[in-house]
Amino acid sequence: MKISQKFKDLHKLGKKAFLAYVPFGFPTLDDSAKIILALQDCGVDIVELGVPFSDPLADGPIIQAAANKALAQGANTDKLFTMLNSLKGKLKIPLVIMTYYNPVLKYGMDKFFLKMKKAQVSGVMIVDLPVEESKAYIKKANRFNLETIFFVTPTTSFTRAKKIADHSKGFIYYISVTGITGPQKLDGDWLAASVKRIRKVTQLPICVGFGIHKKSQVKEISEFSDGVIIGSEIVKFIDENSCRKDLVKRLSKHIRSLCIK
Amino acid sequence: MSNKKIPDSRGYFGEFGGKYVPETLWACLLELEGVYKEVSRQASFKKELKFYLSEYAGRPTPLYFAKNLSKHLGAKIYLKREDLLHTGAHKINNSLGQILLAKHMGKRRIIAETGAGQHGVSVATVSRLFGLNCEIYMGAEDVLRQKANVLRMRVLGAKVIPVCNGSKTLKDACSEAIRDWVTNVGDTYYLLGSTVGPHPYPYMVRDFQSVIGSEAKKQILKKEKKLPNYLVACVGGGSNSMGLFHPFFKEKSVKFIGVEAAGSGLNSFNSASLTKGEIGVLQGAKSFVLQDKFGQIKEAHSVAPGLDYPGVGPEHAFYKVTKRAEYVTVDDRQAIKGFKMLSQQEGIIPALEPSHAIYYLKELAKAAKNKIIIVCLSGRGDKDLDIVNQYIK
Ligand SMILES: Cc1ncc(COP(=O)(O)O)c(C=O)c1O
Repeated sequence: MKISQKFKDLHKLGKKAFLAYVPFGFPTLDDSAKIILALQDCGVDIVELGVPFSDPLADGPIIQAAANKALAQGANTDKLFTMLNSLKGKLKIPLVIMTYYNPVLKYGMDKFFLKMKKAQVSGVMIVDLPVEESKAYIKKANRFNLETIFFVTPTTSFTRAKKIADHSKGFIYYISVTGITGPQKLDGDWLAASVKRIRKVTQLPICVGFGIHKKSQVKEISEFSDGVIIGSEIVKFIDENSCRKDLVKRLSKHIRSLCIK
Repeated sequence: MSNKKIPDSRGYFGEFGGKYVPETLWACLLELEGVYKEVSRQASFKKELKFYLSEYAGRPTPLYFAKNLSKHLGAKIYLKREDLLHTGAHKINNSLGQILLAKHMGKRRIIAETGAGQHGVSVATVSRLFGLNCEIYMGAEDVLRQKANVLRMRVLGAKVIPVCNGSKTLKDACSEAIRDWVTNVGDTYYLLGSTVGPHPYPYMVRDFQSVIGSEAKKQILKKEKKLPNYLVACVGGGSNSMGLFHPFFKEKSVKFIGVEAAGSGLNSFNSASLTKGEIGVLQGAKSFVLQDKFGQIKEAHSVAPGLDYPGVGPEHAFYKVTKRAEYVTVDDRQAIKGFKMLSQQEGIIPALEPSHAIYYLKELAKAAKNKIIIVCLSGRGDKDLDIVNQYIK
């Protein structure tokens, strides 16, 4: 399913999107498919699947540790696509790959995108690939009909936000803080004003991520944005419960407690 | 090629370089680039930098004709004595340049990464000099290996933050410094220590280090009335080598040799990114990177903490593919031999990083009998006595 279609559907229902980030291969390689399907079952609208990288510059300790664990257990790009192919027919919601540039570059962008397409992945976002370095990337993604999501942050100027929006498809990822991933106190009024400002340069949905870790934040931010993204909070929960047999069940319950639907 | 500006306006040296950073950093890189371009041209900035380089750091450094070593090896060997600078290594050239920029930009807090601790010490030093707060990220493994430098940084009032991620060495310290910068970009200046990272760092650091080559050029022309045949320097991130090479770029008769660390061996753990690496993107720039087939960065190793890094500056990648420079390797054991050789021949104890370059002279001299060779003695070896002692045991 295309991300843009998902937002149209949600819009018709008057609903906001709930996006969940999980790293591939965490807590174990076998858990990823189960976790993704569980996310779908408990009402997540879009799955953001992190492809672990050894040196994640924009990630805080929680996601760094998860990436290291996944890599230590042998998570790699080939296994990622095997897992994604196993979801075909079962996963009905859009899935977006979030990663860093080097794993994509090394695998070969064409090969990476072709496999994404075959696995019915909807879109891709690369943390350390600003639009200025993205010419070939966007061209290729378009060829494979993949939606390219870019980031806008509190340090992004207004004119630059327009440029980024012009290169984006699916939605704009607004990073709520000047900083890395991990739980944060967020200033709702300030965020609302920031999102409003970005609306002036784009018709695309705007989703807010980084730092969001509790229901009250989800509620507040959903009022003025088109969706919220939760990452570290979910990863932390998985980590804390990774030894339990009923991990997936517990996770579903936790996600439902964060969701406002 | 020769008429094009290198790097180009997007920070590319040929196909290498660029700005592969999280969006949060884009604005400040742009600001830094603008400020650097404007300020570095100003006569007042040049004058101030020159003042500190000479009065505080001790420039110009001698180009010393190493008589005993030359006789021993059979070539005319000159040492560019960066080891005699204040704080004991070439790193201070860059740190002085950048701290003046930071001051100009009104930043109150300085952060940096360090491997050998030489860059960390130089940043702690200039931060004290200008009264700015200073925090240094250092791999936990390096904190143990380079105790003396950790103590120096602390005496200078810097906070040393041990980094326990990954291989606990320079790469991990650098990632942690970047994360800090992403979080505190408003008031914090990231004083990067080598010709790596996103544009404008590789070219800015190269410019600040070019004082090494510019001086050496004048000095050798005075002493020998001709250009040298070879320039030799060790390559970690690539700043002392690029600083020596760059001013000779257009002198086609002068051969450049960069010496990488082969660590425990080229088929084992090493830091030879140009020799064994493949094109990739690490910490903001496209260059050669030690990585596996899925693009995960490999752990580097070298007995010299300042060379222990799985990437290399983009300008070196450009020199490699255009064949402007040749890159060779020297392993841990050979570097220790180089360390001893210079100590015993000349009474000069080199740091383990340039000991790699010193050892390579032995190989080079065989093919370059009586040729003029300038080698960058990038730092002094006091910091390495513990490591060498353990090695000998
Ligand atoms: C004395 C000395 N030489 C060389 C290096 C390597 O760095 P670069 O390749 O940037 O000169 C270091 C780094 O710490 C150093 O301390």
